[in-house]
Amino acid sequence: MIHFDQVSKRYDGGFEALSSVSFHIEPGEFVFLTGHSGAGKSTLLKLVTATEKPSSGQVRVDGQQLKSLNRREIAFYRRKLGIVHQDHQLLMNHSVYDNVAQPLFISGEHPGDVKRRVHAALDKVGLLNKEKFRPIQLSGGEQQRVGIARAVVKKPDVILADEPTGNLDPALSRDIMNLFAQFNDIGTTVLIASHDLGLIARLNYRVLSLKQGQMISSPFGTNGGTYG
Amino acid sequence: MAKKRPASNRRRNRAPTFDAKGWARHHWLCCKDSALSLLKSPISSALTWLVIAIALLLPTLFYISLQALNSQADTWQEGGQITLYLTFDTEESSGRQLAQELTARAEILRTEYISQEQAWASFNQTLSLESNLELAENPLPASIVAIPVQQSQADLEALLLMLRDLPEVNDIQIDLAWIDRLNRLLDLARSMVLLLSLILSVAVLLIVGNTIRLSIESRKAEVQIIKLLGATDAYVRRPFLYLGLWFGLLGGIAAWVMLTAISVSFQQRLDGFLGTYGLDAPAIWLNATELSLLLLTSVIVSLAGARIALWRHLKDTDPS
Ligand SMILES: Nc1ncnc2c1ncn2[C@@H]1O[C@H](COP(=O)(O)OP(=O)(O)O)[C@@H](O)[C@H]1O
Ligand SMILES: [Mg+2]
Repeated sequence: MIHFDQVSKRYDGGFEALSSVSFHIEPGEFVFLTGHSGAGKSTLLKLVTATEKPSSGQVRVDGQQLKSLNRREIAFYRRKLGIVHQDHQLLMNHSVYDNVAQPLFISGEHPGDVKRRVHAALDKVGLLNKEKFRPIQLSGGEQQRVGIARAVVKKPDVILADEPTGNLDPALSRDIMNLFAQFNDIGTTVLIASHDLGLIARLNYRVLSLKQGQMISSPFGTNGGTYG
Repeated sequence: MAKKRPASNRRRNRAPTFDAKGWARHHWLCCKDSALSLLKSPISSALTWLVIAIALLLPTLFYISLQALNSQADTWQEGGQITLYLTFDTEESSGRQLAQELTARAEILRTEYISQEQAWASFNQTLSLESNLELAENPLPASIVAIPVQQSQADLEALLLMLRDLPEVNDIQIDLAWIDRLNRLLDLARSMVLLLSLILSVAVLLIVGNTIRLSIESRKAEVQIIKLLGATDAYVRRPFLYLGLWFGLLGGIAAWVMLTAISVSFQQRLDGFLGTYGLDAPAIWLNATELSLLLLTSVIVSLAGARIALWRHLKDTDPS
């Protein structure tokens, strides 16, 4: 599903955040991406969402060479992804409901469907009672969960989450991981960047580790050891 | 175990089936939301559409005055007359025949033959001369007064050349020079209105462009986020284009309202003023076609302004 082939990313200014990273993730796999702060986890996810372009190497997702897509094709490509951002990226002037509904608005879903699906997603993250709130009226953890609800509202093919449990207490973290696992059960590919090693250890999924921009373990599904 | 799912359609994001209903829904949503956003900040949005209105009002006012003048110029031109003074050896009968021949021409509306005696009588009457002034001979020539039909300046001049060449005609007196001058003045005014309209259209373009640019700036974060969620450029542009459309429409309507207010107050004064001369004042209104043209221009120019601003500034909002 996600193929990295000798991918390097050098930011303007010359800093190389990723160096010759290669790995692939099978459709329907659940994978953790770990590494210290600054190791390049967010950069790697941004390459998958086509927010950043690799300096060299190739990124292929669902059989598509990302660098061959034009702007319009990138937009449609992103609709297949459910993205949870490290910094939430919520619309601050809109209600929780509107935030979660955005992906459905963008793909022109019927308003009746929108309502049903937004409520289902908010229910899953336990925020059904706060649909009319603005993000500013929510705690960091609650904002995080709004972002998660938005990522899963469309039943995406791929879920990409950058530190999705960064602001959550252990019990909530577990709930959110279970939520991702539920999607994984119905075939969604999941890639989660996290430095919460305790959480990762408890869940028995394949782990990709980055260290200073280099992949140091389990680059391929075949030698990834155990995954549940 | 990881569950494998059948390979999904690779071309899905390349060839999306066009969802007309969703598209129409989004248009409606943007249309509504941008109107609401204008209502939510009435003062700042009013500033923009008032400036647009004033920029539109100026050339429209000129245009209207010009139209009024034009309609009058037509009646004035009818007042233009050509007097043909006939030679003294032209018999009255041939003079009358010439008058008839001239009337038959398409360029001439009507003619009137004035014999030497009539000329003398009216001369005396006008000056109220006592009959003690006795001249042996009547010094006044017979003449034909010809009223030309409305026609272009060039046609009129051709007509004059022809009349001058007539053997019976000794001299011609024309009352047309001022019409010529008026026509030239009106032509000049017309090109000024055109120029003014162009300049002020550019002003409207810049005003709307700048307003939309500010709106893009203030919603930059929002735009970045919805792009990450898969919004196309067209989707992102839509609310801003509707904003431009509303500005154009509101500005156009406001211009029309101001124009009407000005017209109403002027019409009374104009009626009173021209009435003392026994003249009918022209109507200073925009007709339905002109009003639609005003609104259409306003909307199109505003949309263009919005589109240019989007073209310049939307690239800055790519997510990073
Ligand atoms: N837009 C950017 N411009 C320049 N350097 C960047 C940018 N984004 C990230 N970096 C650098 O790249 C490195 C990796 O960052 P990141 O991918 O965010 O790491 P992580 O998510 O693992 O903490 C960091 O040293 C960071 O300073
Ligand atoms: Mg990060």
